[in-house]
Amino acid sequence: MGETGGRDALGEKAREEFFSEAQELVDGLSRDLLALDEIVKKGGDSDPDIINDVFRAVHTLKGLSGLFGAAIMSGLSHELENLLDDLRLGRTELTPPVLDLLFQAVELYGRILASVKGDEPEPQDEVKALLVAIGQTTQSRQGGGVSLVAQYELDPGLLGVLTEYEEHRLRTNIQSGLSLYRIRVQFSLATIDSALDDLKAKARPHGEIITYLPTGGGGDIDSIELEILIASRADLGTLQGAINGPNVRIEEVSKRDPSTPRTSLPAPANYGDQEPLRIKDAPPVARVLPGAVAFTVGDDDEVEAVRTPPPPGGPPSAPPAASGGGNGGGGGRELSLRSVSQTVRVDIRKLDSLMTIVGELAILRSAILRVGERVRGRPDLRELGIELHRLHRTFDRHLTQMQNGILEVRMVPLGQIFDKLSRVVRQISREHDKQVNLVITGAETEIDKLIVEELSDPLMHMIRNAIDHAIEMREERLAVGKPAVGTIALNAFQKGNHVVLEVEDDGRGMDPEVLVRSAVRIGLVSPDEAKDLSPREILALVFMPGFTTKEEATQLSGRGVGMDIVKTNIGKLGGIVDISSEVGIGTKMTITLPITLAIISVLVVEISGRSFCLPLASVEEAIVLDEGLVRTFEGREVMTQRGATLPICRLAKFFGIDPVEHVHIDHTNPSRARSFVVISSVGNRRLGFVVDKLVGQQDIVIKALGKSLKMVRGFAGATELGDQRVGLVLDIAALIEEVLAGSEARFLMTAEGRN
Amino acid sequence: MAARGGLRHGGLMRRADMRASSARRAADLGKRVEYLAFVLANDTYAVQIAYIAEILKPPPLTGVPRAPREIIGVMSVRGRLVTVIDLRRRFRLAEQPTDRKTRILLVETGDEQIGLLVDEVLQVYRLADSEIEPAAVLGGEQPAHIAGIGRPEGALLILIDLKPILEPR
Repeated sequence: MGETGGRDALGEKAREEFFSEAQELVDGLSRDLLALDEIVKKGGDSDPDIINDVFRAVHTLKGLSGLFGAAIMSGLSHELENLLDDLRLGRTELTPPVLDLLFQAVELYGRILASVKGDEPEPQDEVKALLVAIGQTTQSRQGGGVSLVAQYELDPGLLGVLTEYEEHRLRTNIQSGLSLYRIRVQFSLATIDSALDDLKAKARPHGEIITYLPTGGGGDIDSIELEILIASRADLGTLQGAINGPNVRIEEVSKRDPSTPRTSLPAPANYGDQEPLRIKDAPPVARVLPGAVAFTVGDDDEVEAVRTPPPPGGPPSAPPAASGGGNGGGGGRELSLRSVSQTVRVDIRKLDSLMTIVGELAILRSAILRVGERVRGRPDLRELGIELHRLHRTFDRHLTQMQNGILEVRMVPLGQIFDKLSRVVRQISREHDKQVNLVITGAETEIDKLIVEELSDPLMHMIRNAIDHAIEMREERLAVGKPAVGTIALNAFQKGNHVVLEVEDDGRGMDPEVLVRSAVRIGLVSPDEAKDLSPREILALVFMPGFTTKEEATQLSGRGVGMDIVKTNIGKLGGIVDISSEVGIGTKMTITLPITLAIISVLVVEISGRSFCLPLASVEEAIVLDEGLVRTFEGREVMTQRGATLPICRLAKFFGIDPVEHVHIDHTNPSRARSFVVISSVGNRRLGFVVDKLVGQQDIVIKALGKSLKMVRGFAGATELGDQRVGLVLDIAALIEEVLAGSEARFLMTAEGRN
Repeated sequence: MAARGGLRHGGLMRRADMRASSARRAADLGKRVEYLAFVLANDTYAVQIAYIAEILKPPPLTGVPRAPREIIGVMSVRGRLVTVIDLRRRFRLAEQPTDRKTRILLVETGDEQIGLLVDEVLQVYRLADSEIEPAAVLGGEQPAHIAGIGRPEGALLILIDLKPILEPR
């Protein structure tokens, strides 16, 4: 199984499939383990359905890893199977130490996957250590089980090809006192699919199909004989009545005379060579997806535990019959390679190209509208024009549906990353000996797949920070009258066209004095500058490169290379991070992100005769600029709007595209063409952009500027506005940042000057 | 495993057509490389035609504020955004307004499509190795983008290496 030669033969696409499938399985595992953890914490019995799920996932991973030459992974899976088997059969109890082993295994799976990808070295030593630990747990019991099966007159050849899962089902059924029956059926090759389904449907009410395989005999060229092993409480007569047919023979598998020598099951290692063909036996995708939102929405008033396991008996926990009958339409062994899942994995770039086509159709649509209007303008063609207009409206409706459909496909629930984060919290809080409760709300909130991918690292960093720096040690908490267990709340919700993510802790909060002192010590601000900082600016210090409050970096949060990178990464997604904090009460970080990167509504404006687009999501309103209300304040122009001060930015000047004739005109000169202020906000920062003309609102497909323009700041991309014209889309978050960052830029300059 | 193989699949792989392609025969006639010649400020330049995806009449371009001077704007070609570089500006030649002969050469790089604005597109030359001289014949240090001199009959071509041009500076 350990050969790596298969890798090239299978090709890049198959490898990618492997990674995404394995990743999904590992994510699912992690979810299941967290559910088990919750049950164990509450002192409940372990849920056999969940353990079965875990077993199947591990089993499938083993098969996958065999295919891709990840020997270390199949070795790990193999040992895990033994452990899980013991758990299922109640031979080993599900205790916190055992759970720890399982969590470690999930962690290692992730790292092995990364190593197969070439991102990091193989965690050989860790895996070895874990294998030893698992071995010790399973060693405490040995033997048993196998001999039960050996009491039956079963063909050793058949026993030899049972999967471990099937073997387990066989054993369990025998233990429960069910009888075994062997059914031999002749199928015509032409109709085997439906005929087998038919037979399975008939058999299911009476028992569990453990396995079925071709007998290799009895058939002519157009037919095949299958042997089906079924466990049932019913007697032979009942079964014969239920499953009758011209080519069906049923017999009971009798018990051996105890004196005959036992046939023992082959060692598990022998399965190795046939594993690859069976990778689809466990339905990985179908099983994982329904569990994706296995969270309860927490109660805001009550900050308490939170997580419920997936509903028992729900889709995630397939009935035991899944082994043989769960292929849902699969035929014999060979046919069972057919995928059971109804889902399709799609490369997001394909969706992008579909979106581009939709965008072009939208441009066509406007062209049709124009033609229609021209036709309607001619009295002799009026009726034709009306018809054209009607067609245009229908076209428009369908196009919108299509656009929404494609967008919907891109959306995934945030729960996907929240699962990973819960694992991180569990791990870090244990390492740190701090008790932390992660309270998640809004896991069902959906966001663009591309954003989700980029979000997990920043979020993880924020949570690590919260555990490391914010949550106090138990004694310290008790001393100030806080509950011993710290709470980190991860809230997600949709707000208009944005998704808001909050990471809130009930830790010690950020002390402004400490922040300022640290910043001065590191040299980010001079002591003089520090005096003038507003509370807001003080909190913003943590986003500066190199900032840290610790004299010594801890292993967990590194050495302060965190928050500035978090901020940069969120910024790349068009989002913004804000902090609020109260000493002794806690800290809240708020991330505001656009829902999707693909299609946006924009306000088209004109500046010096050029068209620009401002994402409507960040636009509050647009008003006529009253030059009389503009004041200059420390070299920066501001105006008063509804009693509040609003900084403004003249985009023509800012971009350096101010036409020469405007420069000399007195700003108070009433003859000057009127301008508009587009009031924009991101997070809680506001800025008014001064533009010459408001053109209108439009839905656009935003495209990234090429690599050659990467160094140009202030633009989120560009779009086609019709008539072949390209309009640049402003990156409002970046522009607000740039314009308002006066004070921050001052810090940076000081910092650089000192270096 | 063989014992399980009761079902067979019907499709037989068809044998590949092994006949020699006409392209191969053409290659035997002599190693010649095709170059597209264009004009910039009265000089004739040429670039391997394999790099050119398309020759376009300039559509309306959208200038990008704060971009490097040589980037005169972006355009959309069948839904794709293309950054357009003015080769006159890139080569620090005197600037000149576009006219009806102005063309954009569309070049596919690994990551994006780039448009190169040139004064005029002339013709394709098929140059044999013997017709190409190294850039050193011009004497002194030559810029990295000059790959050599093409000497087809009756013409002098400055052969351009696109790589240093396309790399963002």
